[in-house]
Amino acid sequence: MNVLEINKLYKRFGDREVLKGLDMMVPEHSIFGFIGKNGAGKTTTIKIILGLLKQDSGTITVCGQKVTYGDTKTNRYIGFLPDVPEFYGYMNPMEYLNLCGEITGLSKNKIKSKSEELLELVGLKDEKKKKIRGFSRGMKQRLGIAQALLNEPKLLICDEPTSALDPIGRKEILDILSAAKGKTTIIFSTHILSDVERICDYIGVLHDGKLALCGTLSEIKENYRHNEFVLEFGSEKEASIFEMLDELKHPSIRLWRSGNAVKVLLTDDRMDGSFLLSVLSQKCLVPLKFAVVEPTLESLFMEVVQ
Amino acid sequence: MKGYLAFFKKEIFEYIKTYKLFIMLIVFAVFGITNPLVAKLLPEIVRNLTTDGIIITLPEPTAYDTWTQFFKNATQIGLIVTMILFSGVLSSELSKGTLINLLTKGLSRTAVILSKYTSMALIWTISITLCFGLTYGYTAYLFPNNETSNLLFSVFCLWMFGLFLLATLIFSATLTKSNYGCLLMTGIVVVACMIMDIIPAMHKYNPISLATDNMGLIMNSIEVSSLYSAILISLLLSLLFVLLSLAVFRKKQL
Repeated sequence: MNVLEINKLYKRFGDREVLKGLDMMVPEHSIFGFIGKNGAGKTTTIKIILGLLKQDSGTITVCGQKVTYGDTKTNRYIGFLPDVPEFYGYMNPMEYLNLCGEITGLSKNKIKSKSEELLELVGLKDEKKKKIRGFSRGMKQRLGIAQALLNEPKLLICDEPTSALDPIGRKEILDILSAAKGKTTIIFSTHILSDVERICDYIGVLHDGKLALCGTLSEIKENYRHNEFVLEFGSEKEASIFEMLDELKHPSIRLWRSGNAVKVLLTDDRMDGSFLLSVLSQKCLVPLKFAVVEPTLESLFMEVVQ
Repeated sequence: MKGYLAFFKKEIFEYIKTYKLFIMLIVFAVFGITNPLVAKLLPEIVRNLTTDGIIITLPEPTAYDTWTQFFKNATQIGLIVTMILFSGVLSSELSKGTLINLLTKGLSRTAVILSKYTSMALIWTISITLCFGLTYGYTAYLFPNNETSNLLFSVFCLWMFGLFLLATLIFSATLTKSNYGCLLMTGIVVVACMIMDIIPAMHKYNPISLATDNMGLIMNSIEVSSLYSAILISLLLSLLFVLLSLAVFRKKQL
């Protein structure tokens, strides 16, 4: 089942069209990495899902229920963590979670037990009676996760939760999100690709108002694998001999050499690695290493976005 | 409803924690105490300042003087302080983004506006009551033999005018982005009321009569019934402004 379905979503600000028919599905119990450049429209999409902005056209359903602008009914399924969460500085975490709980309509006892549990989870147990005013960015982000998980949402939306944090803070947030995975579905918008590779199982790349790439990480890598190989030789001489072979002088074969390594890209679909292996055995060249180049998320991203 | 109650509690908590309630109470308490005092002492002060050759004769101060002070301070400085304190009622939450979190929790926008308006109205009510109580008690002590008429009704009119201004303020807040815009719009409404007051026929219906006719009421030079229309109009306008701000805020892109 899909927790979130977006169909043909359009949104324009003035004469800048941000979303141009976005289609997106998020399956249950996945961590969906929502990737895009700054200004690609990630936050806009999220705000429309939350009913904070009005789309020009298109439909969104959350847990099978349609989202209508200005009405916040579907938000009871959603927990939201903004990129820079802001709280009332004069409150302490317990007071803030209490306010959130009262708004969602949880019972007093439930609020108390759930707040304790969540503050423990995000590591703010010792700060629960301190004013939020003095909190660091990372602490606010962690409190943000706690408030987002308070109503046990079916869908947790995090808008660039790690962008402004130091490496330790980032790791902690990612760990907390991974831990929450069993209980909820997570949409994780970001432009930090290493974070995505670390925890996401589905990804969608937003580019030019549409999803330019969508699927599981391994599926996408499979589809975008090129006939690209790296051969490492014992010496530079061997490498340059290989580079200069007449068999490889063909417009569909491209070679780059740096030191004793040669990178080969076969652009002709009829050719594959066995062709290179046969050339090597003909010439009695034995490389130290022969490897198929796996596309990285970064190279995929660059390819799609350019 | 649960959203309204939770948010109303948060509003009051905020006014306490950010010292806004404290400031309001102090300002109005100071007025409450100084009103009768100024009325009593002003002639003394003036007498001491008189130099040779100039003789200033002032009538003996009466309770009317303290109520003149009361309505002058409460309407002018008191209402201005109130408006300035509350001018960030929406803009600060929207610009900081504190409201977004709660709206995504399922808090309805209607509950936000209603709880903000009612909590402001409550604080205004407490403040004006405090000021009135102090002035009343102190006046009774300093001027024991003075009688006034329509005193409660006159204060009620002023209170009603405050509610009308707060409704204007919350409506302005939904239309503008900053607290200055909000103050400016409220100011424009007040000025518009003052300009309309130039036309004598309008005076009967103009909300501003509720803040200008108070002394007349006390001295019995103005009939109580002459203000009924203005009260009704203010009530209707306040209701209209609150409803309009609900409509505008529901459609606002955040």
